[in-house]
Amino acid sequence: MAEARKSMIKIKPKKYKTGDIVKVDFIVIHPMDTGLIKDKKTGEIKPAHYIDNITFSFDGKPFTTMKVWETVSTNPYFSVNFKVPGKGKITVDYTDNTGEKNSKSKKLKPKD
Amino acid sequence: MKRVIFPIALLLTLATAGEQFAMSDADRAMYKEMLENNPADIYVEEGGELLEENLGGEEALAKFLGVSEKELPKTIAGFPRYVKKLGNVVGLDQVLQAMQIEQGKEKTKLKSGKMFSMLAYVKSLANDEQFTIDINADEHIKASYDLGKKTFETARGGRGLSCLSCHSKDIVGMVLRTQPLPDLGEAGAGATWPAYRMTKSSLRTLQRRFQGCMKNALLKVIPIGSKEMVGLEVYVSTLAQEKKKAIAIPGLKR
Amino acid sequence: MKRRNFIKSMMAVSAVAVTPVALMAKEEAKAKKKGPNDLTVEAAITAITGGKEVKKSDKIKLTVPEIAENGAVVPVKIEVDHPMEEANYVKAIHVLNTKNGNARCVDVMLTPANGKGYFATRVKLSSTQEVVALVELSDGTFIKAGKSVKVTIGGCG
Repeated sequence: MAEARKSMIKIKPKKYKTGDIVKVDFIVIHPMDTGLIKDKKTGEIKPAHYIDNITFSFDGKPFTTMKVWETVSTNPYFSVNFKVPGKGKITVDYTDNTGEKNSKSKKLKPKD
Repeated sequence: MKRVIFPIALLLTLATAGEQFAMSDADRAMYKEMLENNPADIYVEEGGELLEENLGGEEALAKFLGVSEKELPKTIAGFPRYVKKLGNVVGLDQVLQAMQIEQGKEKTKLKSGKMFSMLAYVKSLANDEQFTIDINADEHIKASYDLGKKTFETARGGRGLSCLSCHSKDIVGMVLRTQPLPDLGEAGAGATWPAYRMTKSSLRTLQRRFQGCMKNALLKVIPIGSKEMVGLEVYVSTLAQEKKKAIAIPGLKR
Repeated sequence: MKRRNFIKSMMAVSAVAVTPVALMAKEEAKAKKKGPNDLTVEAAITAITGGKEVKKSDKIKLTVPEIAENGAVVPVKIEVDHPMEEANYVKAIHVLNTKNGNARCVDVMLTPANGKGYFATRVKLSSTQEVVALVELSDGTFIKAGKSVKVTIGGCG
């Protein structure tokens, strides 16, 4: 499975029911370069390269959007809450300032 | 072993500085929470995929080591150890390399992101286990432990420093460059590496960290997988073993 | 090893090795390079609120470390004690800083579906400064909370 970017969605707690509020954690491997730092090896400034927009959706319906800046840490972490409406799929769509688009999904399986 | 003796006044000054930089309980709780969302988790997952695709996963590893899959975690918790097949005391990364040779696959460099990921995945299979390193199990592991301890204590390099210069029991708690120096056993160093290094934004292994430490102390860097490095890993792991620190991979470090 | 030599060695080690964090802070300070997104916290707040009044509120629980182990990865957690109902909810959480070139970190637009006014992330702080949580409620009002984080530049390796 060749994903353009490596990322992970974690739902906490592991066991939940419909109506529960869970924590949705999203981590992604991304340099989040500010465009101000030199590459130690080449001596050249590393161009700005950072995630700039994220949308969290459930079964295609967005429930959280984020505008992200280069001040966020490398390999960033984003965490929000979500009230479980039932069985379905959470999708995180994210783009970066170079126009690169990526997506990661995770199924919600409430133990009702 | 050369001892460092400080006058009381200096000791008190350093102790106060240590308090100033010591982590508060609230901060410690915050950093502990970060462990639950460790970017290294992604590398560990990747390591598992690489192990599966490249070598046949845990099944193949257990077979190579001559143990059942059920015994694998406790076996892993005994590394670095003497592997008769290889005639040497080796780390898990060297076992993976040996498996690659056996299967006619291309060797992955020990000092590579791919190997760090695979090593982290394999070691994580022993999570929550106590180390099972027995330095008296055979002459080989005993020799490795002795060499490791000797390397730890030997002063070398331009400034005449040894690992002990910053990591001896007398120095623990004193502050060097705003960081209180840890007791490697109490800190469970052996049990929490490979770890995500925040300053490097990447997954790093214990031996790789030793190399960084050596560079800072102006000691000639020893190659990963060498007898001395494996010995050092054995020694530092037994320090964690003595303090009953359970394996917890991946760790999270500065 | 004699004490004097030991201290000399320690100081030599301190002087010679420079950490990436130190390098980053030093370079950023020296360069004073303007990033394309550079904006002061005052300008950022005005841009977000449209100049509206913003009151400090203890409805916002902002958790940051007192001392950041590493300025490149500073954990930030924000919890707003406010309902998340259709007609009354936390509409947005803006995470800001006071001394980076760009005062903005993340702008989070929430909906009642979130269930709670909560957000957590990790940010880069170039030096000791405040992290600010600027919260917009669905009725158009803004509240805020700020906390200082000490960023130490040091460490080995």
